[in-house]
Amino acid sequence: MELFLQRLVDGFSEGSVYALIALGLVIIYRGTGHLNFAQGEMALFSTYVVYQFGEWGIPIGIAVVMGMAVGFALGAVTEVAIVRPISKKSPFAVFIVTIGLFQLLNWLDGAIWGGQQLPNSGVGSKQVRFPSLFPSKPTDFVTIFGANIKIQSLGVIALVAVLTVGLFAIFNHTRLGLAMRAVAANGDSAKLVGIRTGRVLMVSWGFAAAIGALGGVVFAGINTNVNLGLMFTVFIYASAAATLGGFDSPGGAVIGGFSIGLIQNMAAGYAPKWVGQEMKVGVAFLVLLGVLLFRPSGLFGSSRVERV
Amino acid sequence: MTLLRARGLTAGYGPVTVLQGIDVEVNEGEIVVVLGANGAGKTTTMRAISGTIPRQGSIEFEGRNIQKASTDAIVRAGIVQVPQGRGTFPELTVADNLLAGAYVRRDGAKAVEDDISKWYSVFPRLEERALQRAGSLSGGEQQMLAIARALMSRPKLLLCDEPSMGLAPLITRELFKVIGGLNREEGLSVLLVEQNANLAMQIASRVYLLETGVIVASGTAAELSADDSIRKAYLGF
Repeated sequence: MELFLQRLVDGFSEGSVYALIALGLVIIYRGTGHLNFAQGEMALFSTYVVYQFGEWGIPIGIAVVMGMAVGFALGAVTEVAIVRPISKKSPFAVFIVTIGLFQLLNWLDGAIWGGQQLPNSGVGSKQVRFPSLFPSKPTDFVTIFGANIKIQSLGVIALVAVLTVGLFAIFNHTRLGLAMRAVAANGDSAKLVGIRTGRVLMVSWGFAAAIGALGGVVFAGINTNVNLGLMFTVFIYASAAATLGGFDSPGGAVIGGFSIGLIQNMAAGYAPKWVGQEMKVGVAFLVLLGVLLFRPSGLFGSSRVERV
Repeated sequence: MTLLRARGLTAGYGPVTVLQGIDVEVNEGEIVVVLGANGAGKTTTMRAISGTIPRQGSIEFEGRNIQKASTDAIVRAGIVQVPQGRGTFPELTVADNLLAGAYVRRDGAKAVEDDISKWYSVFPRLEERALQRAGSLSGGEQQMLAIARALMSRPKLLLCDEPSMGLAPLITRELFKVIGGLNREEGLSVLLVEQNANLAMQIASRVYLLETGVIVASGTAAELSADDSIRKAYLGF
């Protein structure tokens, strides 16, 4: 029972990170139909920025908010300066360009913070200690039903829950949210009701990157350090989470993220010989494969039906 | 009073010029119909006026030149287009579609709510389906939603791109009745393009005939249907 509870909370807190990155992927996909391959690296850049703010003596709480602002700007500029002009020529080229951006950002992080380092290897990358948003000393835990639950894990889960509720409120009950949903549903018609679709897309990319920044900070906090390879696997899990949730459903992305985190931790914990730490990725993907076999559009994705 | 005056309107797609410099006018309170066959440039005319494609020539709306204005600025100025094939937001509910139609308005939630109820009373089917996704509506219902959504912005000029497309004759007739009624009762000015000449002529104040990007005839509905060659080609009797 204690073990189960611990694995449950650990799974949820790891899943929160996947959920945050997946949320960013979904927001961008809904708005422009692009898969932003650089989502993880944009988050990593912002995470390093937060680290830098910390080095300059800014308290972590404020540094995170500032880092999210930097992330927002990075996302917005990427949309306006890179994605928009290129997608006019070829939507497929955007995908390639986001891969390029992935490389560029990782190289940039390495040049500024990481010392000399082969891009993308992550191995041997210079690690810098990263502060946690929540109390994370070994003694910072609460005992629930005999299980020692880290306060950090609970904090992370609460943070993601609050953020998700906030995002839903923005999506469903504000003018901006209505505009974002309209652009996602039909960009041409959105223009015809007077929505400045360019501005909406810019804000969407900004939002996605800011949420990603938070994901990066949270993961670096759990990890207690940040290095160039930090977001590689996270991005893969997050893509899996978004796919599981249905790629165009923000709620699905969150549930997908939690599910992947849970499945991994449960499988690794309960089948240490069969699965263990090495194979837990595989289990998550097996489940994903199973779901997609029966629901090709994911758990909450809308399979587009159009009547004429 | 002239609401819309386009002079030498030229537009197309990339290297292809579709509209070869047409003159179109809509006076306040008129329903102006542009008739033409497939490929005549009807939809291009609509897009050129609503600013969704680049265009040359002069377009004046209430005396202001809007040739360089962006689509959203044109909507704010009071011209709103019902695109061909309805163009609703399929994933949004009917109610949210209408709310999105009021996006440019700044007169408060109460006034917007009042307008939604008003269009629900004109189109009762929409009220029944208020919380359904627009994508699940029938073709006729979607067309009604598209028109109601456009009217939610309180436009001075409504552009209607082939509202009859894909609809049963009975529903088309109903729709034209509604458009005619809005024109009479609310003084709504309408520029409508159609292939269905018979129905469109019945509500038209004036008619333009468009052939391969050039206006070949214009006049009142009565004048045009008196012309033998036009009657044969477009009205089929």
